[in-house]
Amino acid sequence: MALQQGSAWRLALPLKVIFQRFAFMMLICISIALLVLGKADLVLLERVRTISTDALSPVLGTLSQPVDALNKGIERVQELASLVEENERLRRENERLLRWQSVSRALDQENEQYRRLLNALTDPLVLPISARVVGDSGGPFVRTLLLSAGSRDGIRVGQAVVGPLGLIGRVAGVGKNSARVLLLTDLNSRIPVILEKSRHKGILVGDNSTSPTLEYLPNNAQVSPGDRVVTSGDGAMLPAGRPIGIVSSVADGQIRIQAFADWDRLEYVSVLRYDLPGLTDRATNPGDLGESQLSN
Amino acid sequence: MIEQPPFSYQINRILRGSIPFWLTFFLALLTVVPLRIEGFGPVTPALVMISVFYWSLHRPYLMPAPVVFLVGLISDILTGVPLGLSSLMLLIVHLVAISQRHVFVGKAFILTWWGYVWVASGTSLLTWIVACLYSLTLIPILPVLLQLLLTILIFPLIVWCFGAVQNSMLKSV
Repeated sequence: MALQQGSAWRLALPLKVIFQRFAFMMLICISIALLVLGKADLVLLERVRTISTDALSPVLGTLSQPVDALNKGIERVQELASLVEENERLRRENERLLRWQSVSRALDQENEQYRRLLNALTDPLVLPISARVVGDSGGPFVRTLLLSAGSRDGIRVGQAVVGPLGLIGRVAGVGKNSARVLLLTDLNSRIPVILEKSRHKGILVGDNSTSPTLEYLPNNAQVSPGDRVVTSGDGAMLPAGRPIGIVSSVADGQIRIQAFADWDRLEYVSVLRYDLPGLTDRATNPGDLGESQLSN
Repeated sequence: MIEQPPFSYQINRILRGSIPFWLTFFLALLTVVPLRIEGFGPVTPALVMISVFYWSLHRPYLMPAPVVFLVGLISDILTGVPLGLSSLMLLIVHLVAISQRHVFVGKAFILTWWGYVWVASGTSLLTWIVACLYSLTLIPILPVLLQLLLTILIFPLIVWCFGAVQNSMLKSV
């Protein structure tokens, strides 16, 4: 009996090794196949991804909460040290902003009157959805964020995402309760923009660095560092005039933009539901007011 | 006839045996949790790779190739890189670790560290090349190198934690 078992083992062991090697090669092949298939934008793969992200996003949300709390605590302590100066600074800023407010109110009204005189169409109302950032890209190859809100909350692919200081990117993938944001610094990001002052249009092209480049500007465009860049609204997916950043450098034909967004402190972001009647498809981008019933 | 071990013993064994997987899974989640440290996001250390390397060396039967593959997929889904990229790289790390076990196990820690420097450098470079080919552009390599450096620096800490786990919970498994 013992002998039989021994010989069986002698036979089984190499078989096991062979099987393991085979399985290993299979897995390598599957990985490569997935990579190739992923390039082809298969709907099935995308679904697998969104479903899994949906399942994992609550876990991430819970995990990121203590980290957020800790960060807040540290910030609080740091702020305590400079409370008086901060207060003084804020008071001055408040005075300045109040002056600005009265100016902009007057301008707003003036604008409104001109619009009425010209019978110009106003842009549709933009509704923001606030969502918590529960994940970042955690690696050098992509620049994305994971949000804890999804199609259930009205988020659709293509919608603009803004932080407290300006545009940060757009929604690239959406599940039921999670969404992935492609940041404007990612190398796949292309955003139609306009130079605020000279009104020249271009495309903001990300390259995984912190400062994306401004391309496809007309040849005669005059650009100098410090110029503000805002969304142009071309393509009817993003609302026009949203601040993005300023031109940081113009060197040998390459224009780099410094975004207003503070990439390391994005805790809550707004996803903008925006719909130009007749231009966007209701089924894919129902960012209109009817669905949300928040207006009126 | 061999007596079947009691059910509770088997459950205990399975639970303990799955610790390496759950640890790796947790590290994969931790990698994408935003820490909001200045400039840290893109250079977050590749904790999952350390985990796969360590367990493939010390408990290869608890970190078999299918588990490595699964961990890679989860990691890809979480970080948003093309599906299959991490799986491929982690499988390569796994293969190297398994085939070089006799060199590392039971030797001084510094040797394992040195080995990991080579493995991590190789896979980082390979990942970069594959990612560049995938997107058909030149991805900035500086963050990749910084990530590599951070990963190598944090390696002793993670390995120390794993060692503690291994000694306290996986002694008999």
